[in-house]
Amino acid sequence: MRQPLSRELSNLLERGRDRQLRLAVTGLSQAGKTAFLTSLVNQLRHAGVEAQLDLLPVAREGRLLGAQRLNQPDLGVPRFPYDPGMAALRATPPRWPEPTRGISELRLQLRYRPAQQGWFTPDIAHLTLDLFDYPGEWLLDLPLLQHDFYSWCQAQSLHEGPHRKVLFSEWLTEAEQLDPAAEADEAKLAALADAYAQGLRRAKQAGFSDLQPGRFLLPGELDGAPVLQFFPLPELNAPKETLEALPDTSIYATLAARFRYYQQQVVRPFYRDHFRRFDRQIVLVDVLGALNAGPERFEDLSHALRQLMQSFDYGKRSLLTRLFAPKIDRLAIAATKADHVTPDQHGNVVQLLEALLAEPLKDLRFADIPVKALSLAAIRATEAREVLHEGKRTPALKGTTLEGEDVLVYPGDVPNRLPKADFWQQQGFDFPSFRPMPIDSAALSHIRMDAAIDWLIGDKLI
Amino acid sequence: MSNPQPRRDFQTEEAPAPSPKQLRQRESFAATESHQPLTPQADIKALPEASLSTPRKRRWGLMFALVGGATLGSVELATGIPDAFSQSQWMTMAWQLFGISLIGLGGLSLLKELGRLRRLKRHDRLRHDLAELPQRSTKQAQSMAEQLKRQLKLSDDDPHWQAFQRACQPHHSGEEIQTLLRYHLLAPRDREAQRLITRMSGETAIMVAISPLTLVDMALVAWRSLAMVDRLCRLYGLELGYASRLRLFRNVLHNMAFAGASELATDASMDMLSLDLAGRLSARAGQGLATGLLSARLGLRAQRLCRPVAFTDQEQPKLADLRQDLWRQIKRLDKEPTPATRPQK
Repeated sequence: MRQPLSRELSNLLERGRDRQLRLAVTGLSQAGKTAFLTSLVNQLRHAGVEAQLDLLPVAREGRLLGAQRLNQPDLGVPRFPYDPGMAALRATPPRWPEPTRGISELRLQLRYRPAQQGWFTPDIAHLTLDLFDYPGEWLLDLPLLQHDFYSWCQAQSLHEGPHRKVLFSEWLTEAEQLDPAAEADEAKLAALADAYAQGLRRAKQAGFSDLQPGRFLLPGELDGAPVLQFFPLPELNAPKETLEALPDTSIYATLAARFRYYQQQVVRPFYRDHFRRFDRQIVLVDVLGALNAGPERFEDLSHALRQLMQSFDYGKRSLLTRLFAPKIDRLAIAATKADHVTPDQHGNVVQLLEALLAEPLKDLRFADIPVKALSLAAIRATEAREVLHEGKRTPALKGTTLEGEDVLVYPGDVPNRLPKADFWQQQGFDFPSFRPMPIDSAALSHIRMDAAIDWLIGDKLI
Repeated sequence: MSNPQPRRDFQTEEAPAPSPKQLRQRESFAATESHQPLTPQADIKALPEASLSTPRKRRWGLMFALVGGATLGSVELATGIPDAFSQSQWMTMAWQLFGISLIGLGGLSLLKELGRLRRLKRHDRLRHDLAELPQRSTKQAQSMAEQLKRQLKLSDDDPHWQAFQRACQPHHSGEEIQTLLRYHLLAPRDREAQRLITRMSGETAIMVAISPLTLVDMALVAWRSLAMVDRLCRLYGLELGYASRLRLFRNVLHNMAFAGASELATDASMDMLSLDLAGRLSARAGQGLATGLLSARLGLRAQRLCRPVAFTDQEQPKLADLRQDLWRQIKRLDKEPTPATRPQK
């Protein structure tokens, strides 16, 4: 991806002055990335006029003048579909923006008045914010880069719960009979890969998150290409050396070659072009969805996120690293869809999120990266009310479900850590899904988007 | 010289050392017995706080003398009235009535003072509560905001209060509400307080610089400082009586002398420099600036003590901000040429 020299230089200059930030919005599919980005753009565009951004000092003090979309740096990448998203939210009845099916980019320029006038501060300063949207399914390919075919097969068979095994049973019975040393049969491998992809799709339907490789779920332009015709070999007992020594036409060698090709030609460019240069990151997690789905899927999500966060560079920023090897120096983890529970449960949601991400948080703490956990709703779908029920006041939510039914509901308590397995059998969770509220003003109503924006870029808007 | 002592024999068995405490024997409980998590004993927890806080002084002697004197005096005077009436000694009766009403008035004003002292205490409690806002639930935080509004004497349609209400959402946590309170209710008062301190200390500085009598200077400075603390308190919704004013003033001075010493050290170099510069201008200007700085420091301390929510590091007003203003005022005073010597352009 070469860019014209002049643009390259001006980018370098802006980065050197620290006036250009690239924000990583990380989240698995259905975590709310597109909603977050749509809301972020919307809030910043309407900052200072209609947007309610009271926890963002620069907006609260009236210094933020707003934001404009600029021409994005990479002309080969589609633009983030902000307008279609807003149109969907404005439709009657309002709809959530379409799930992302490809990569898109957006560059925003924020203009603000610096808080303190000094010798060199201009009257009006600007900050460029690069945003980037992609299908969450592809994100899980990033951990593949740390594997070779052998270790990948081993890792895949490690975290197979009973429920997950059932979903893959069709493929598993066939694949277990395969001899890695046998001659590869193209048609059979294609059928098996197809069965594997079917299994992945079923698992996704069932609410699992740790699904590799991601292009099997959403092939994009690779649909039907032989690069997608591989799968992990279960029950690999032979040592690595003997397997590596097998002839090129053997099943193992064929699969390994395809895996390598997938890794080098599909995942690596994706990572190199889009995921290396981030300055700030927000990790969006749909905690409530995972609670709804049950303990095995909750663990699965935790595992997926743990793996995922190893793919990013964290560290302190300096002029040199900023220019040549950007690192993420500040991170927010957010439990999305906070509007689907009553406000008094937000504390528990945050604690549960911290429990879910306990392992990566330890690593981040060791690297001395400031992390803030918050609960947010990028686009609010409910209204918090209070109900007088049997003589007692209880909080409740008023909203419209996805099916179009108006409800007033107390969705249930959120535990502050993962409950034991038998709890799910007795009671379980059933958090409803809502569709967005009709929009009455230009700015979308939200929960704690302002706090998230403040944490992510507030220190550059002084 | 005394005689050598004869040999004495002692018993070889040691007396058994007194055991300090009976050791408790092993005891096992049935698993079914009711039990609860072990809590640290209350008295152990209470110890450090009790021993760390300043000893509480109760002036029992003074109370005894005052209450005793007042009751005995009024009883004595009251019992004298019938006698005086029967003997038609009108003058005595008038004196007795006068005495009783005097005692009554004294008691009333004393009660009023006590009430104001209590208000100061309530303010302290509110401060304490507001500092704990991040741990509170949203509802508690909201009610505390109402309390602060009453303390600051804001009406329901005050623009700042309305802005706060607009900003406040049901999903905000205690910490977020604290941030909003800081910005919407306290920041305007802070700006006003800042202006007040600058103006008052500037005027003090100028007064000292031009006043010819040292004794008058001292009285002026003391009087003006008291007035400044008083006004600052009123800004933050605190009405001071005589005793509460004394107490607050003592707190401020105490704070300046001990807590502020380290801060003083960091500021000292700049202070020295500006004093030196002012001293070059004239000795009186130097004196004025020194007094102004002292008075500004006093004002900042008082502000910090009566602000209902403690300052964060960033919003804490600094002496450096005030110093420039002071310096400008003094300089203007020095520069302002008398009409006779005004240079012709």
